[in-house]
Amino acid sequence: MIPLQISPFQYVANGVVFSSIIVLAAIGLSLVYSIADFANFAHGDLMTVGAFSALFSVGFLRPMLGDAGVFGLPLWFFLALAFGMGAAAVISVITDRVIYQPVKGSDSIGLLISSIGVALVYRALVFLSFGTEAERYGVPRQGPIPWVRETLGIAVTPRNLVVVTLTIVLVTALHLTLTRTTLGRKMRATADNADLARVSGIRTSEVILAMWLIGGALAAAGGVFLGLEELVRPRMGFDILLIVFAAVILGGIGSVYGAMLGGFVIGMVHELVPLFYQWGISPVGSRYAAAVAFVIMVAILLVRPSGIAGDSG
Amino acid sequence: MSAVSSWVSETLVRDATERRIFAVLGLITVLLVVGVLTGVIGPRFLLFQIALVGMYALLSLGLNVQWGYAGLINFSVAAFWGIGAYCAALLTAPNSPLGLGLHPVFGFLAAIVVSAFIAVLIGIPTLRLREDYLAIASLGLAEVIRAIILNERRWTAGSSGISGIPNLMSWLPLTDAATTAAIVVFLIAVVYLFLRRVHRSPWGRVLRTIRSDEDLAKALGKNTYLFKMQAFVIGSVIMAIAGAFYAHLNLYIDPSDLVPLTTFYIWIAVILGGTGSNRGAVVGAAVVIAIREGTRFLNDIGFIQTLGIDLAPLRLLFVGGLIILIMRFRQDGLLPPKDELIWPAARDESSTGGASPSGAVPDGGTSSNGGDDR
Repeated sequence: MIPLQISPFQYVANGVVFSSIIVLAAIGLSLVYSIADFANFAHGDLMTVGAFSALFSVGFLRPMLGDAGVFGLPLWFFLALAFGMGAAAVISVITDRVIYQPVKGSDSIGLLISSIGVALVYRALVFLSFGTEAERYGVPRQGPIPWVRETLGIAVTPRNLVVVTLTIVLVTALHLTLTRTTLGRKMRATADNADLARVSGIRTSEVILAMWLIGGALAAAGGVFLGLEELVRPRMGFDILLIVFAAVILGGIGSVYGAMLGGFVIGMVHELVPLFYQWGISPVGSRYAAAVAFVIMVAILLVRPSGIAGDSG
Repeated sequence: MSAVSSWVSETLVRDATERRIFAVLGLITVLLVVGVLTGVIGPRFLLFQIALVGMYALLSLGLNVQWGYAGLINFSVAAFWGIGAYCAALLTAPNSPLGLGLHPVFGFLAAIVVSAFIAVLIGIPTLRLREDYLAIASLGLAEVIRAIILNERRWTAGSSGISGIPNLMSWLPLTDAATTAAIVVFLIAVVYLFLRRVHRSPWGRVLRTIRSDEDLAKALGKNTYLFKMQAFVIGSVIMAIAGAFYAHLNLYIDPSDLVPLTTFYIWIAVILGGTGSNRGAVVGAAVVIAIREGTRFLNDIGFIQTLGIDLAPLRLLFVGGLIILIMRFRQDGLLPPKDELIWPAARDESSTGGASPSGAVPDGGTSSNGGDDR
């Protein structure tokens, strides 16, 4: 191994960035789980679709907007992010209408298996439209912010800050929507008990529409951030799906706030595995970071299957 | 001859739709035979394909025990298959990292023991919970096992794979291809008969009850967790046997086939064939091989090569689309289980009105599809 002079805080900083991505993905997955009542295996590939939609929009946004930038990133990147979120939101609503709604006797198991088919179709379409190679958004390379490096001794790039900040903004916006608006109350009511919500006069179809829009948009945000931090790859979403599921189960299936917490913990652990390995706490290194997330998930299932915040299995 | 036809009509074909499906299958078989006789298809190639279909059929039978009998969603078919294949390869190949070069019997035994052990490990946390927990955990398990095989080069040779796996039963007076084809037919026959027997036993009936209404089974005093665990272990062991067989068929194994797509091929085979139907699982496996190998042939056609289309994503699209379409339009599959739980004698009684306990056996060709639909 390379002689490690990396400060432990560096791993924490990486963990915060990776957690942001997992939190965004886990919220969407948890929303679908609570309102549509099935484990959506296409959620990871929906992130990929969002990331590639953003990549597509870069093609025309970049020449239009030039290199004008805000917060250290070019303006076109933010618009591409918005485009990707919108595209994934629309695609997930269409998928629900065309595929999930008509599944005969749509029980959660039939939908689960259908979602595998949807995942493969998403990925195939990404392959067909963009090829199989890993891509980049083409955001100019940035060095770490100098004053952070001097004071804390860790490397944090402006794009790291943008990812974390935007995640906080999106999560706060979702929190306000859920608690302060009528739609949010309807969503929580439907998630708690769909039949009761319907009897009380809530149009659950409206709620389901909103749920797919929000879930799709947040998944795409997670996908674009993942593509920004690493690479835009056709398998990126599926590869991360297990970690997202681990976060959702840790938080408690169906609980949005649990998903946020679970996403933060799992994302953090994922990035801290090399540190734990150095300290001798974890027997395996970063190659098994996903396996560690899996082991945590299995442990949760053994000890407290309802998760941190869930109240029903 | 009439004995054969009556056996066929009683155990395989039960109504008009099924007769049509089997007619199509028969036609394809005849075409293949004609192909071999006229020299269009090499017999060696055909035998290899038969062995491959047989291996897929074994995997489908294994998944059918889990998903078809007990309603367990296992997304780690490829992992259990890989466990079997690697057990066989590591123990028998002289140039594997372990370098033992043991008799293939030990490979099969190790495959059975290791896969049963891992199935129990993954079953303990998940089988008490809702079905989807097993789905999620098993997908995770598959990725973890693939990661282990890729990373632990000292033990598994990583991505370079293991070669030099010996042929099975090379003392038989047949070509290697014919021997493996014969072995797989034998394995399928054993597994098929075993599963049919246990499926009709009280054990099978309890599983069937669990699948349709687990609370009911619990109310009847059944330890559903134990039954599900048994079904899960049996299915996983069958998959591992298929894997061990594959190692001796292909004589080389690397982790590239452990990807989730392999698992979903088997899922298609089972749901296309008819969930819960062993006949369907075998037919589904043949269809899936036809899809896989068929699309591979397309690659060789010059016309398509000039178009410059990469067929891998098209295959992915096709597989995904097929899953969606089956779930939407034909959840029962091609050969849904109808009366597989009923002993043939009991079926004959009910079709003759049930009034004759002596069990008048109908003549060959009279299919007994009256009144015993599920």
